[in-house]
Formats: sequence, structure tokens, C-alpha cells
Amino acid sequence: MSGPVRRPPLVVVLIAVVVIALGETAGAAMSRLRPQIERYAAARVAANAGVHGLSGSAEYDDDVRDRAIFTAEAGLSFFHLHAEGLGLVLFFASTLVASAVPGRTMRGALYVLLTLGGLFPLGYLAYGAAVLEVGRDTGVELAERSILTPLGLAAIAGLLGLVLGLARRRA
Amino acid sequence: MTAPDPLTWRMPPRWVLLVGVLSIVCAEVAGASMARFKLELARWARGAMLTHPTIHGLVGVRDVDERILDEALVKFDAGLRLFHMHAEGMGLVVIATATVAATLAGPGAARRAIVGLLTIGGAGYPVGYLVWSALIPSQGLERAKTIAEWLVWIPFGSAAIVALWWLAALVAWRIWRP
Repeated sequence: MSGPVRRPPLVVVLIAVVVIALGETAGAAMSRLRPQIERYAAARVAANAGVHGLSGSAEYDDDVRDRAIFTAEAGLSFFHLHAEGLGLVLFFASTLVASAVPGRTMRGALYVLLTLGGLFPLGYLAYGAAVLEVGRDTGVELAERSILTPLGLAAIAGLLGLVLGLARRRA
Repeated sequence: MTAPDPLTWRMPPRWVLLVGVLSIVCAEVAGASMARFKLELARWARGAMLTHPTIHGLVGVRDVDERILDEALVKFDAGLRLFHMHAEGMGLVVIATATVAATLAGPGAARRAIVGLLTIGGAGYPVGYLVWSALIPSQGLERAKTIAEWLVWIPFGSAAIVALWWLAALVAWRIWRP
């Protein structure tokens, strides 16, 4: 059955556009401000020497610092990549919800889950910052446990709910 | 004639859809070509680099030169990959965001400007990666990057970023003042 393509609530549209815009801006920042970002990351590692296990031995410390900076930059790079992708996923999936999922309650629940899932990329910004502030392994674990896993699960639940909603309408 | 339903999406202009789809098609073709013509592309780039030894700092010592050529070939390949990836993504971004602008921006100059900047900036930006790759053999790594940056990435990327934040502000305004 064909029909009009309905739009989701404006708040959902706004979050999708903002996530895409943040992704684009992060990509530009990564390219244009790379030396500044590296300097900032190195300064944060030096300021949090204890959590990074810096020992005072130049060779060992350089290695630890390089790995922390690399991980923080990877966080920024993942943020760029995921924000572009998940902003689009939120846009298209919520449009499908608005157009093809029956029941106001079900649609509302799916908007909430998909919007939370659309915020998943922000976890990678937190990942990059946490690595610098609380150490590499602790930072990665913290970002994964407290942000990436719950928001990622919300995205998966929202998409599975959309599949169920579409199947229900077909039946 | 009935008024359009405010809860449905409006299609952006046809030329915008054409540019978005064309960007995705180019990305697909580039991906396929990279896989199919990997050897030929690498051979062409290597041959072109050997004709510009001073630009690449080649000294005639095999051990040194091979390392320099390998690094340049990795960047050449990375440029093609990044074009493939960005053109796929930006094609979709152009279609999605131009749809939002066509629906939520009032008719007039602002809507035309947002849609124009999104489309031209979004579709033009990935071309910078092709320019970068194509120029590496003749211009060297750094000069090729600088040319691509000033000729494509900065103007087109800035256009897309400005348009996206403008669009975000417009949607926020529509929530604030329905």
C-alpha cells in the first residue's frame, strides 16, 4: 500500500539535523585543527599524569602519551563517522515510523528509542575526553559502559521495534 | 486544490535529488573501480611519481625511494577510498537535509539558499578527495593536499556546514514558534 510520506515530530528532525551538523563540523575540525587537538590532548595527558601512569622516564612516557592521544583522536574520528551515519538513520527510520507504524503509543516509544540511538555518536566524544581525563583503559571502559552501550541498545531496540511495527501493519 | 498536509514531507527540487543520486552513483562506481582496477591505478600512480622524482624527494637509492613511493601510494589509495565513502554519505545527507529544508523553510530566498548550499557543498566536498588523489603523483603529498583543501574542501565543506547549522536553527525556530 502506498501513501503520503509523513514527517516525524520536529524535535526528532532537529536532533537528526544537529547530529549530522556536529558530524560535519567534527570532520572539518579534525582536518583543520589537528595540531591544536594533538597539543591539547598532550597537555591533558600531562595534567593527568597519575591516571596515565607516567613514570618520569621519557621513552616510556612518550609511548603512553602517544597511545592516549591516538585513542582520543580515534574517538573524534568515530564521532565524525557515526554522527553522519546515525543522523541519517534517525531521519529515515523516524520517517518510516511516522508513515508506516500504526498506533500513537508505539510511534511515541519508537521515536524515543530512535532519538536516544541517534545520540549514540556523542558517546565517542565522551570516549575521547574520558581517555584523556581518567586514563586510556578506564576512559574507554567508562564511555562504553555508561554511554555507548545504553544508547546503542536504544538504537537497536528502536530499529527492531520499527521492523515489528512494519510487520504488524502488513499483517 | 487542497493545501499540503503540514505533517508530510515535501520533495526538494528535482535537480537536488539528481545531484544527490548522482553523488551516490559516482561513489558506487568509484568503489567498484578501486576493486577492479586496483593494480592499474597503482601502476599509473607509481609511473607518474617516477616521472616527478624531485617533487617526491626520490634520491635514486632503491631502499629510500621505495619507502617514499609506498607512502605516497597509500595516500593515493586513501584519497580514492575517502571519496567513495564521503560521496555515498553526502549523497544521502543532501537528499535528507534538502527534504527538511524544502518542508520546513518558508518559500523564498532563505529556502533557496539553504538548499543550494547543502546541495553544492554536500556534493562538491567529496570531489576534493578525488582531486587530492589525482594530484599526488604530479604535485607531491603536501602540495596536492593544500590544493585540494583550498580549491574544494574549504569552500564546499564550509558551505555544507553553514547550511546545516542554518537548517538546525530554522528547525529549532519552528519548534519555538510553530
